[in-house]
Order: sequence, then structure tokens, then C-alpha cells
Amino acid sequence: MDHGEPQPSFKGISAAYAKAKVEKEKQEAQALKSTSADAGEEANRAGEVHFKAAHGIVIAFFTWILILHILGIYLFTSGFLLTRLVLDHKSECASPPIDSPLSYISGSSEPGCWHPKTFDKAIVILVDALRYDFTIPFPADGADETAHQFHNAIPVLYETAVNQPNNAFLLPFIADPPTTTLQRLKGLTTGTLPTFIDAGSNFAGTAIEEDNLVAQLKNASKRIVHIGDDTWHALFPGYFEPNLTRPYDSFNVWDLHTVDNGVTEHVFPLMHPSNTSKWDVVIGHYLGVDHAGHRYGPDHPAMNAKLSQMDGVIRQMIEALDDNTLLVVMGDHGMDAKGDHGGESDDEIQAALWMYTKQPAFGRSSSDYIHPPATAKERPVAQIDLVPTLSLLLGMPIPFNNLGKPIEEAFIGASGDDYQNLAIVNRLTAAQIHRYQHEYALARGIEESTRMSSLALWTAAHAAWDMANTTAHQGHFQSVYSAFSAYQQETLSICRGLWARFDVPRMLNGVMILLSTLVVLAIYSRGTAGDQTELTPALLIHGGMGTIIGVLVGFGATFALTSFAKEHVLICAAVVGGMTGVSSAFWRIRSRLFLPFPTTIWGWMSVGFTLLLSIGFAANSFTIWEDEILLYFLCTFGVVAALSSFRQKAIADRALGCYHSILFIILTRMASLSRLCREEQMPYCKSTYYASANSSTSATWQLAIPYVVALLIPVFIRGYYEGTRSYQGSAIMWLNLALRFGLLLSAAFWTMDAADDGDWYPWLGETLKTSKIVVAIITFAISLGFGYSTFIWSKPLLEIENRAATSTSNVATNNGRTSITILGYANVHGSRYALLITVWYLAIALVQKPMGAGALALAMWQIFSLFEIIDTNKLSDSPIGPVILGLLGSFHFFKTGHQATLASIQWETAFIPLRTIRYPWSPLLVILNHFGAQILCAVAVPALVLWKQPPKKKGLLGDVAKAVGTHLLFYATINLATTMWAGHLRRHLMLYRIFSPRFMVGGAALLVVDLFCIFVAIAGTRISISSSAEVFGFPG
Amino acid sequence: MSTTVIGGAPPKPRPPPTPISHLPTDSARLYTHIHPLLLLSLYTYQFPSIVADPVAGLAATLVPLAALQIAYVAVCLPPTGNGTGSGAGNGPASGGAGGEKRKIGEKKKANGSAGKSDGIGGRIIPAVLSVLLSLLVAAPLLTAALVLFGAPITTHHAHTLLCGAHIAFLAAIPLVYVHGVDGAAWRDAVALLLPVDEVYGGLLGAVCGAWLGAVPIPLDWDREWQKWPVTIVTGAYIGYVFGRLLGGTMLKGKKVMF
Repeated sequence: MDHGEPQPSFKGISAAYAKAKVEKEKQEAQALKSTSADAGEEANRAGEVHFKAAHGIVIAFFTWILILHILGIYLFTSGFLLTRLVLDHKSECASPPIDSPLSYISGSSEPGCWHPKTFDKAIVILVDALRYDFTIPFPADGADETAHQFHNAIPVLYETAVNQPNNAFLLPFIADPPTTTLQRLKGLTTGTLPTFIDAGSNFAGTAIEEDNLVAQLKNASKRIVHIGDDTWHALFPGYFEPNLTRPYDSFNVWDLHTVDNGVTEHVFPLMHPSNTSKWDVVIGHYLGVDHAGHRYGPDHPAMNAKLSQMDGVIRQMIEALDDNTLLVVMGDHGMDAKGDHGGESDDEIQAALWMYTKQPAFGRSSSDYIHPPATAKERPVAQIDLVPTLSLLLGMPIPFNNLGKPIEEAFIGASGDDYQNLAIVNRLTAAQIHRYQHEYALARGIEESTRMSSLALWTAAHAAWDMANTTAHQGHFQSVYSAFSAYQQETLSICRGLWARFDVPRMLNGVMILLSTLVVLAIYSRGTAGDQTELTPALLIHGGMGTIIGVLVGFGATFALTSFAKEHVLICAAVVGGMTGVSSAFWRIRSRLFLPFPTTIWGWMSVGFTLLLSIGFAANSFTIWEDEILLYFLCTFGVVAALSSFRQKAIADRALGCYHSILFIILTRMASLSRLCREEQMPYCKSTYYASANSSTSATWQLAIPYVVALLIPVFIRGYYEGTRSYQGSAIMWLNLALRFGLLLSAAFWTMDAADDGDWYPWLGETLKTSKIVVAIITFAISLGFGYSTFIWSKPLLEIENRAATSTSNVATNNGRTSITILGYANVHGSRYALLITVWYLAIALVQKPMGAGALALAMWQIFSLFEIIDTNKLSDSPIGPVILGLLGSFHFFKTGHQATLASIQWETAFIPLRTIRYPWSPLLVILNHFGAQILCAVAVPALVLWKQPPKKKGLLGDVAKAVGTHLLFYATINLATTMWAGHLRRHLMLYRIFSPRFMVGGAALLVVDLFCIFVAIAGTRISISSSAEVFGFPG
Repeated sequence: MSTTVIGGAPPKPRPPPTPISHLPTDSARLYTHIHPLLLLSLYTYQFPSIVADPVAGLAATLVPLAALQIAYVAVCLPPTGNGTGSGAGNGPASGGAGGEKRKIGEKKKANGSAGKSDGIGGRIIPAVLSVLLSLLVAAPLLTAALVLFGAPITTHHAHTLLCGAHIAFLAAIPLVYVHGVDGAAWRDAVALLLPVDEVYGGLLGAVCGAWLGAVPIPLDWDREWQKWPVTIVTGAYIGYVFGRLLGGTMLKGKKVMF
């Protein structure tokens, strides 16, 4: 670290200083100016104008890139992330959606809230992955295939439906994809369609907050017992009778029997007459069939055995059932030929539904329907239909957001002609749907035109109802029934269109925009020879003009292409225009272009790391373990850097490079000890970020970390400055005093926060809360107020020293007796710019939890190490520096307690300097916390090419533009990859859990990094270079 | 492997290092091709037991591996020392093949007509020494590197250490045998400045193979063999064999370019 004798020739400067010394003038800027010739001054002024213009154009160019990124991400997202607003409304027993017919007024769950109930109690048995064709006999009318293991193994459902049509029915039960158990349970209890984001729901937890059947039962003081798959407890925490409920881990797919045997063991005692008074609804969830499918596939003896076991269990239940209890057996989804599920294929969505009662309660509208359908294509019911059916059968109000309709067989009566009852329940359900749609339209602002068709059906159904009431004829009620049911169908298909359909053209166009922007960025930053600033104006003018023309043309095209949304056409036209413009600019400068193909090991590594990571995002495992992969890549870089350092000719470079490379590796590994594991990493990962795996507060010992950081980090940074004697002027004040004090304050903040959380000093009361907020505000003031002022107005970190003539090389002798040494000459640009990194470091460090503060401090240290590695290996022109900063930022994203999941967002950071949510500050704080590491690394990018560069080097701004472009290229590639994979795997089992969150993180990170690169990094470069130029002059 | 002796660079100019060829004897020519087959057979034979219990399996494989490597270096490679072995030796010869021949001639002279068996006997000692050096120096360094790359810090120490030992035995024994403790040669080796040959290619191959061996670990295939450190060791064996083969033939004499 203590090397850095400035070697470059600086005769002119030292002469100026010699002169200045003679005139006893120590202000070097003054000296330079006062002694410059007029011509020099003129050139300098021209250089300044030129520099500022070039700088503005670079900013404008990258802003254009940012706009393209926004457009691409917006277009893709609008086609991909379909959102549904979750309404908080709950249906109430006392307020039916429509005035009751036949003067039925109850308002109490005892006789039935909106409609007289049929059953007091219910046992709902969920056989996970019970596909419809498992339940019907095979061969079905002379099919010549041979029977498989899964055929004819569970005949009880079919037999009872055929033999006792008034007691049982069996129907195909169609799931809405995704066919994963969690999503299915949501559908089966709320009656709504699954969407990507249920906007308004609690991001942090999985608990269902929408109105649902379980909550309605709970509200009506029904005692619910749950036995089996513990997913229910994540969805309905605290809803079940604690002393009777038996949850089982659903995770171990290899275990076929533990859950099933547990359910059987506990469900039958409950059905014993002595115990039936202890509960109202029992939910039993068998997993064996699903696990047998996952493990062996459906066509395997294990599946046959499992289904036979279920057959026996159901027969036993029929035996034990009492008269006023309803027995429901259903599958939540099917399975594909390999026994897996999650997608939308027929085999996956076709489950079975069977209801049984000892009362003659069920019927068929036609005698043809006594035999259950031979295939799932005939007379299917939707899974959401279970919600109104069960609600009305048990006398519950229909959950507010339900879109399903009552199942015909359950309400048509034993004789199969009670159309009046069917019409009444359908009218009730339709009215609730209508109420829901009305509220939804109010809250979300759906265009009236999209609801037009359903509203017309609603009016028609009402007319039919009025007509039927005046004539009271069964035939009329049949038409009322079909009218209301038509309204429900239409509403459902409208909602499906709004919520559950990907807009593939939008997604494709979004990807195309991101891809073309990536190509432009790649050519700009890695495929052009010479100074970037010379090329930028042409690119900007052509690209900008093209975009504007594109917008104008697109505006016209919106009238021609009416089948597409206006903004879709407009965006595409703007981008096509912009790309055409930029291509023409590239064509004009084609002689300076070359293929951005890697030629050195560093180029290969940059491309390799980025591409490997991008390809890996297609696999859920590599996405889950991204943090470890980044560790691996960073260490690989460190090792290669160490090897490369051994190849350096100069011994100083060799030693320094080796030292910093090994330091870089060790720091990476140290940082990797801070982990916040995502669920999927269990059990191979141990969270250390918080006190324990189930906590989100820091351990007491962790509170010491920020203090250690406050003591050490300023010292380490100072070391990097002292290596080139740049620890001068403002740096002393800022690094030694302000930064240290700010870090101490942030450490104090987290101690006070822990004291406040843990209520350590109850007698302090509000004082503690107030003072911690004050401390946080002061820290921000130090960082972004004082720190930024220091950065803006600081002089270059130089000092002139007079001393007796020695043999050191960087002196200008004056008559051989005394000499002047310019301290800090070797790293004028780097040291000056790096102040900005430390300013932002302080702001980001405050908003990280204690463990995160440690990780971020290591990141800071690594960044400075990286500067030295890049310098000693002479890599400032290579893409490796910006790419490694990208990897480092992504790595520390994980190390500061984040994961690519919505649950890992640390929302509470919004309150660090505030008491309540305040816009725009609260979201900004969360962004600063979430992407803190990426932001820090983005701000550091220009220093890669400024570190230890000669003060008068030309084209520094172009180098910065190139480095920033390369850095953005890394994030843009990751974003494009995650976007493409999310779009491609949009029906993947793990879409909601893995690919979609990673896509969102990738997109958000790209935009945040874009913004900080442009408005902090490049903007800061102008301040830094201008400040140095006041001493050394603007490079012509 | 990333931290070896830095200092001790002699001020006098050294001749550029030359690639190493195996001894021009019939047995060397033959065994150099049999050796990789034996190695892979050993590993394939032991693979089930390594997967079943990595610590016991790897430990049991370590001894036959060392024996095979000793046999290989003793039969096929020129030992270090006596101004002969190292391609980067002090001899004035610069031409690779010619130099080798002359050295062998010297050796024969020195050994008189004692015959081959004596020569091999004389090579067993340096071979055993290189095993010791690999075990004591290279294996701990490689283990440290494995931990830095993400191997568990608090658990699986025996696993990681044995993995490091396997890579060390594969990669380092031949290199120690031919270069001894020549600091300059080792600095060139670390700096990837040595010309590629059978020995150095084996080292590069083993390290790259081990690097690639980490790829399948995170995949959710639920296979027994994905357990730590089976894939790394497997990658090292395969990489070593490939690196040796390519280094001794197609890439011989080439240098790693940065």
C-alpha cells in the first residue's frame, strides 16, 4: 500500500510549481492561472466548455438508455405481472347481497345466513393430486388401451354415485392454473382466480387476508379441525382448534405414509359419536397420492397401493358418518404423466370432486347424469364452485370475492326438479358476484365497456326472475337459473381475461426492446475504438431524433392498429424509431466499430461470468443458490487476479497485486458468512443475519459490529489514500472526522433501535424513539449534506512540500538546494472521486441492519482493493472491473440480508428517520436498503478508470462512460435473462416462488443502477474532473 | 496454490522454461498412457464407496492414488536436481528435446551401468518426497482455497481436507517431482508462465476440472453423488486426465495467455 511514487512526466506542472515557490505563492490553482500564458488560458477555457458539453451529452445518452430500459420493462411487466386488487370487504351473515325471496330472513348462521342450510357439520377430505380419471372405472366403454396402475384402484366414489344418486355425486373438478397446492387452497377457500400479485395483500406473509370460507366459519364460531398438510397453517394461522389439530410437514416428497397415516389415525376418533360434539368442520389433507406421483409417477404399483388405501379410508368414513354431516372428498389438482403438477395441462387441472351424505339431499337434473361423466370434459365444475356450494350448504355467507357458482347436483333436490331452489341459490351467488364486481370496479376503475356484456346479462336475469315470481312456474325458474348462471359465467370469463391471461405480444415486445437496448449498450461500451465522448453526440442525436419520429409515427399508427392498446403501439414505434436512428449513426461510424468479442482472459471472464449467471437463471436451483455462485465467481476472479499479479514485471506491482487479490478473496469469504437463507435453501443453509432463523431482530453481539466498523473502516480507507499521499485537505476532515462520527452515530442508532425494540429501558419511554430518529437524521445530514458539500467544493487532494534536496524522483529542484514535492499527485482523480463513494457509503450503512453494516463495510474495503488490483494489473480499460463491481454489488445484496423474494424486503427501514410513512422518503429509504450494495458498487464504477491515472490524461470522461456502460451491460444482461426466463417459464411450477421474484429484482436493480450511474456516478465525475482541472487544466 | 514463495527470484537471467517430456524409455512411453487409465479405473472402482461415505472412501483411495502417482513419476518423469530434471534447470541447454537427451546421457554416465532398476530405485526417494511435500504444503493450501470458494467452514472438515489432498496428489506430485523446490520454477508455475506439458497440463486440468465440478452441486436432482465433495474430486480426476493428455500432445509447449 505504500507504493505509488508518481512516475509520469510533469515537467510543465513542476515548473509552474517551482515558479510558484519563488513567488511564495502556495495556492497552486492561482499559481497556475496567474502564470499561464493567455493562449493557454484560452485553450483551457475551450477545454472546459468542451468537457462540460461532452459530459452533458454522455448524461443525455445514458438517460436515453434508461428510458429504453423503462419502456422495455414496463411493456413486459404489463403483459406478465397481472395483478388483482384484493378487496378487504367481508360478506356478513346479516346482510345478504340481495333481498331474500320467499321472505326468507335469517341473518343468523343457526338456520343458515342467506339461505336455509342443509348440513350442520362437514368433513372435507382433500386427497392431494386426485386426478379425475383415477376415480372412474376403466376401460370406459370399450377403449382398447390396457389399464394402468392408477386405474380402478379407488372405485368407491363412482360406485356410491351410481348406486345412491341421492346420497352422492362425483364430478370432474377443474383447477385454475397454477396447479400448486398453495394456490389451489387459496382458490378452494376464497373462490377467486390466482394472479401474479394479489395487490394489497401482505407481502411478508402467506396468510390469506381475503374473505374466505374458513374465515367465515371461524367468524360464525364454528370449530374447525385440521389434520394433515401444514400448508393450511401458513394460509390460515390460528384458525384451527389447537388441541385437535394435527399439522404434518408437507416438504418431504419421498415419504408416502407419515402424513396419511397421521390423518387416518386422528380423523376417525373425531367421527366417533362421543367426539362429534367437539367440532363443526374437519379438514383432512392426504398427501400420499401426490407424493407417490412425484416419486414414482402415476403408473406404478405404489400409486395403486396408495389409491386402494384411500378407497378403504373413504369406505370406513362412509360407515362412521352420521346423518347431518356432509362428507366431501376432492383433489386439489391432478398430475401429469410423470406425476408432477403446477402447469396447465389437462391432466394437471382435472381433479375429482365427490360429495356424500346419509340424507337424500342430492339429485340429478336428468337421469342421464346418474353415471358420473366418462371424461373430465363432460359436465365439469370449477374448483371455485365449491366455495358457494359449501357456504350455502353449511348456512354460511358466500365469501365476498367469490366468482364460483353453486353446483347443480347439490341444490336440485332428490327428485331432480327443484329449479326454484336452484334459481334462488344462483340468484344469491350472482348477486354477491355483482356486489363484488361493483366494489372492484369502484376500487380499480374497470372500464364500463368491459363489463357491458355481463351487466346486460344481469339485467336479463332479473327480468326473468321477476317474471318467474309472478307466474311461479317451475319452467320459468329453470330459465332464471340459466340466466343467473350465464351472468356468472360471463363475469368469470371477464375476470379471467383481466387477471389470469398473459399478454404474450406485450411480453415479446418488451423483451425485444430490452434486447435491442442491450445490443446498443454493448456496441457503445465494448465495440468502439477511440474516445467514447466523440461518438456519443452522433448516437444521441440519431437515436433521439429516431425516437421522436417514432413517437410521431406511432401516434398515427394508434389509429390504424386499434386492436392493440395505444401505449403499446406508441412504445414500440418509439423504440423502433430510436433503434433505426442509432443504427444509422453506427453505420456512419462503422470504421470505428469492431465486434465486441473477448480477446483476453479478462474479457472471457467478464463475458463468462455474466453469461453463466444468466443461463443459470433458467434453473430454479441456480437461482436459489445465486449467493453461493456469486461467491464462487468472485473468488475465481480473486485467484486469477493473484495469478496475473505474479506475471507483473515490477516487483511492487507484483506484491501489491497479490496482496490485494488475496485480501479480496478473504474479504469475500468473510462477507459470505452473513446469510439470510430463503426457504428453498433449507436445510443446507443457516441464517446468520438475525439473532436466529425465526427472528428478524439482531442478536445483541451483532450490535457491536457497527462500532467495530466505525473504528476500522475510516482507517482502512485512509490507508488507500495514504498509499499515494492523497490523504490531504478535505479528505482528513471528511474521512477521519465526519465519516467516523457518522458511522458511530449509525452504530448508536442500531443500539438504540434494539433497546427500543426490546424495551430494555422502559422508563425512557418515547425519549428513546425520538432520540434514535434524531440520530438517524443527523447521520443523513452528515452524509448527504456535509459529505456532498465536501465532495463538491473540495480542492484536489494535493499538498506541496518543501524540503532539502533528496534523491526522490518527484521533485523539482530549485538550485539544487531545496525541492518541492507534490503529495498526492499520483492519484489526483481517483482519490478525489472516491470521496463520493464514501459519502454514499455512510448513507447506505445507516439503513442496513448491524450484520448488514458489517457486510457493507467489507464491500467498501473490497471496492478499494479492487481499484488496486485493477491498477496493478493495468486493467482499467478491461471490462472486468465494471463486471466485478456488478457481481460484488449483487453478492452483497444477499449479504445485507436480502434474497430474491418479496418476503425479504426490509420494509421497516422506511421508519429509520421517520415516525410515519412519508412520500417520497419512505420508498426511497426502502430502495436504499434493498439495493444498497448495488448502489454503492455503481457509484464506485468511475473510480475504476480514474484510480491512479495521470492528472492530464486525455479521454478520462470517455473511459468513465465506457466503464459505466459496461457496468450497466452486466445488469442489463441479467435483467434480460431473468425477464426471458420468467416469460418462457410462465407456467412453471416455481414461477411464483422463484422466477418471478428474481425477474422483479433484476428489473428493479437495473433501473436503480441506471439512475445512480447516471445521476450520481457520471454527475460526480464532472465535479471530480473539473476540480482537478482547476489545477492541471482541462485536457484539450 | 495462490500463495507460494514470492521472493528469491535470482537476479541472473534464466533461460526460458521449456516443456517437460517423459523419459525416452520404452517403459515410460508405455506407462504414461496406462497411468490415466489406471487412475480412472481406481476412481471408478472406488466411486460407490466414496459416494456412500466420502470420508472413508476418499481416505481409502488416497493411498492407492499416491502409489499410482509415485509409480508414474518414477517410471516416466525426469526427477529434479542434479542439474537435470527441471526444464527450467540451470543447464545452458535451451533446445528442449536436445537438452533432454543430453541430460539423460549424463544420468546414464553418472549411474554407470547400474541398470534401470537402480535408476528407478533412485527415483523412488524424490517421488516419496514429492508426495510428502504435496501432502504437507499443497493439500492444506488447496483445502484453504476450497474453503474460500465456499466449502463449509464449520463442518465437513475431513471431507474438504481429503478433497484438497486428492487434488494435491493429482496435480502437485508430478510437478514437485520435476521442479523440486526451485523457487523460480514455482513462481512461473503460479503465474501460469510455464509452457504446457504433460505435468503442467495435468495441474491445470485438475484445477479446472475441480472448478467445473462445483456446477452440479446446487441442482435439485437429489442424487447421492451430489454430496460434498464428490463432484469436485470427480471433476479433478477427469480434468487431470484430460489436461495431461492435451498437455502432452496438442497443447505441448503452448503458454497460457492472459
